[in-house]
Amino acid sequence: MAVTGKDYLSYFRIFRLNGFLVATFGVALCVALPLCIVLSFLATTSSDVWRHLVDTLLLRYISNTLLLSFCVTIGVVCIGVPAAWIIAFYRFWGRTTLSWLLLLPMAYPAYILAYTYTGVMEYAGPLLTWMRAADMPDWVMMPFLHIRSLPGAALMLSLVLYPYVYLLARAAFLQQSANLMEAGYTLGQGRLSVFRRIVIPMARPAIAAGTLLAIMETVADFGTVQFFGVQTFTTGIMRTYYGFGDTAGAAQLSSVLLGFVAVLIVLERHSRNRIRYYSDQMRQLDQAAKHLTGLSAFGAQVLCTLPILLGFLIPTMLLVNWTVFDAQLQSLWQLAWNSFALAGGSSFLIVGVALLIAYANRLFPTRSLSYMTTFIGLGYALPGVVVAIGILIPFGIFDTWISEQLTSWSVKPQLWLSGTLFAVIFAYLVRFLAVANGNVFSGLSRIRPSIDQSGRLLGLSQTGVLTRIHIPLMQGSVLTAILVCFVDILKELPATLILRPFDFNTLAVRAYELAGQERLIDASPASLCIVLVGLVPVILLNRSIGKL
Amino acid sequence: MTQQNKDALTIRDLTLDYGSSRAVYDVNLVLKPLELGCLLGPSGCGKSTLLRAIAGFQPLTSGEIWLDGNLLTSPSISVSAERRGVGMMFQDIALFPHLTVYQNIGFGLEDWPESKAQQRIHELLDLIGLQNLGSRYPHELSGGQQQRVALARSMAPKPKLLLLDEPFSGLDTELRGRLASEVRTILKSDGICSLLVTHDQREAFDFADRIAVMSDGCIRQFDTPFNLYHEPTSPFVAHFVGPGETVDAKVNAPRSVASPLGVLTNDTDLGFETGDDVKIFLRPDDLIHDDDSGYTAILIEKHFRGAHHLYQVRLDNGVVLGCFAPSHHDHKIGERIGVSLDIEHLVVFPR
Repeated sequence: MAVTGKDYLSYFRIFRLNGFLVATFGVALCVALPLCIVLSFLATTSSDVWRHLVDTLLLRYISNTLLLSFCVTIGVVCIGVPAAWIIAFYRFWGRTTLSWLLLLPMAYPAYILAYTYTGVMEYAGPLLTWMRAADMPDWVMMPFLHIRSLPGAALMLSLVLYPYVYLLARAAFLQQSANLMEAGYTLGQGRLSVFRRIVIPMARPAIAAGTLLAIMETVADFGTVQFFGVQTFTTGIMRTYYGFGDTAGAAQLSSVLLGFVAVLIVLERHSRNRIRYYSDQMRQLDQAAKHLTGLSAFGAQVLCTLPILLGFLIPTMLLVNWTVFDAQLQSLWQLAWNSFALAGGSSFLIVGVALLIAYANRLFPTRSLSYMTTFIGLGYALPGVVVAIGILIPFGIFDTWISEQLTSWSVKPQLWLSGTLFAVIFAYLVRFLAVANGNVFSGLSRIRPSIDQSGRLLGLSQTGVLTRIHIPLMQGSVLTAILVCFVDILKELPATLILRPFDFNTLAVRAYELAGQERLIDASPASLCIVLVGLVPVILLNRSIGKL
Repeated sequence: MTQQNKDALTIRDLTLDYGSSRAVYDVNLVLKPLELGCLLGPSGCGKSTLLRAIAGFQPLTSGEIWLDGNLLTSPSISVSAERRGVGMMFQDIALFPHLTVYQNIGFGLEDWPESKAQQRIHELLDLIGLQNLGSRYPHELSGGQQQRVALARSMAPKPKLLLLDEPFSGLDTELRGRLASEVRTILKSDGICSLLVTHDQREAFDFADRIAVMSDGCIRQFDTPFNLYHEPTSPFVAHFVGPGETVDAKVNAPRSVASPLGVLTNDTDLGFETGDDVKIFLRPDDLIHDDDSGYTAILIEKHFRGAHHLYQVRLDNGVVLGCFAPSHHDHKIGERIGVSLDIEHLVVFPR
């Protein structure tokens, strides 16, 4: 029987559909692997260490994690919302500059901020030496002496995480239609009442979403709490794994932490949905903004400058100063090369996978694909420690098994997967694919199907559409995706720490090690490297917001 | 003062600037209590700016606005928007998305005693026919329902004046016409003096008692829909409110003109000197298709409007006029059809 052109085409389509589906399914499996491994330990019988944990430490991990999250919530809301408020509703000298400077602390991983402030505040550090010389009373010096504490960790985390709240709240304030506020006035409500009853309630989902993102980062944080000696889930998992050598216990702790994260994800999705309903307006706020002069303008400037000063300018000046004058760090170039090569290679791979998934979704928009894509997006919420444990366990099992198989071939037992860069990159893929997906998807969605169709009608082939339309249009978002992944990988600490090959150091790991040896000044060149590279996507982010 | 006491809204010699350009000038407008007025004009004619000035969102350059005998605003004084007693329904509806229908309607009733506020909200829900949807959120309603909730919300505090800023422009044509008359009925039954802004002549006719036609920042004519259609005072108004053609003519007596259609006579004085060159304006309903008429013209264009045809015909002397024909009189283009003049009132403009 002759195969007609149409049959041939549909055969071809099904074949491709399967190719894309299989690839996406494979990626989804990769993301699911650490998650399932960790959760599978919930069903295993509990070890002695686990029982010991439940009796003694679990309660502390839970209460510390919750308390830390609570303090960070207060911190990010108290810094982020007023800043967003001032930037959105008032006009004053320096506003435009401040509006993007407020994003700069995002370049800092919290642990680097912690190392830097501790470096300047410890007993023998310059600040307290100066304070003692100036005969300051004890109660003034107290908070600085006790920076290594839960409130201290909350402060560090708040200073680098408030931009999430600031960004989302500012967008929410700016998106509110001026008509809504005017509707309030025509219904007899004054300015204060309109703020209380319209502006704030409508921005609440956005503020909540920003805060929840900050809490997710907080519960995933390892470097800061470890350094400050605050016992949370992440430090607990590390301790159970390394200290007690109990894989099952670490996995069980991880699964409890996952439960907490799951609640956060559900809440965050809920807030996002509400934001969608709250923002399809027409005329925006610009003309309703109030001009400030004199003292009130000065007040606004000070309020917006403080977070920038504490979260970026002061620590950066310290880092630069130490790097230039005091630090002793050998092999910075080797570290930088390791970091950049690893981050660069991984981010290329991750963005490649993201492109594959994005095109799969575009060409064959099936429901199962979109579910899988959503699922892959969850990887970002997994704390690095959990991802690492979830990868280490199956890789370890595989290594043991393969070594047993190979002994008969007289191959020496060795680590085939765990303790290799493959494991590290695998962890990055699980954790950061969602970041790349976000950028690539939004880039691709801007190319409406009608653009493809007009290209085809004007005589381009399918490949022609790709090379003449998509590649030029997608360049920007692909580059952004690579960059954002690159920086996230550069900052990533716990997964790299656990999974890296023996003696393979990156900037973040070396900074962690030096800080662990109380060589805070010597850690500064590596820290500064991370922060400076981290600035690039922040500036890009600001530019893309400016275009909206 | 007494004059302001009698009238609901009085606008006197108003001039408004939008940025550096003049948006509205020389506007004088009076609305009587319970009257439904309308500002009709093409986009950019200043009608929305004028409305925003009445609401208190747009400063005045000169002139005064009075409401119920109180001065609302002048270049030196301005009562703030929330204390004017002026309600407003917005073009983008502007329902508060975080509040239910019930809470939206009750938003302006915060100072009312609980029981009275409840009663008012239920009364309005009844009036707009959404008794069962009080607990819904705006995004759960259809476009037409959202419009009605927005209307109820702006009416709830019993404003002295309700402003409607193109409230139907986002809806489809069919719903638009229905809502305009529905809203008219609701406002009439609640006794609220209102001012609608629109660029749609049919919407204005459906809604208003009197219409102010605006162009280029000033009011060209303020009159009833009937008079605007049949006795427009300027060619702009004549063309804006409905179809029609102008034909050159010459005044040959105080009450009549000589035109290519013959000598046409009016019941009253035309207000022109004999011998003046003028234009007469003829609507399609001034020329009727009549198969029995001995007077014929060539059909050159036709538009089927359902209930009737709108024909364009060329008379033997070359004059082209519009002409209404009954729906079932379906003639072909190029055919010669019988027509007869049926002019009740002559519309004459200077040339």
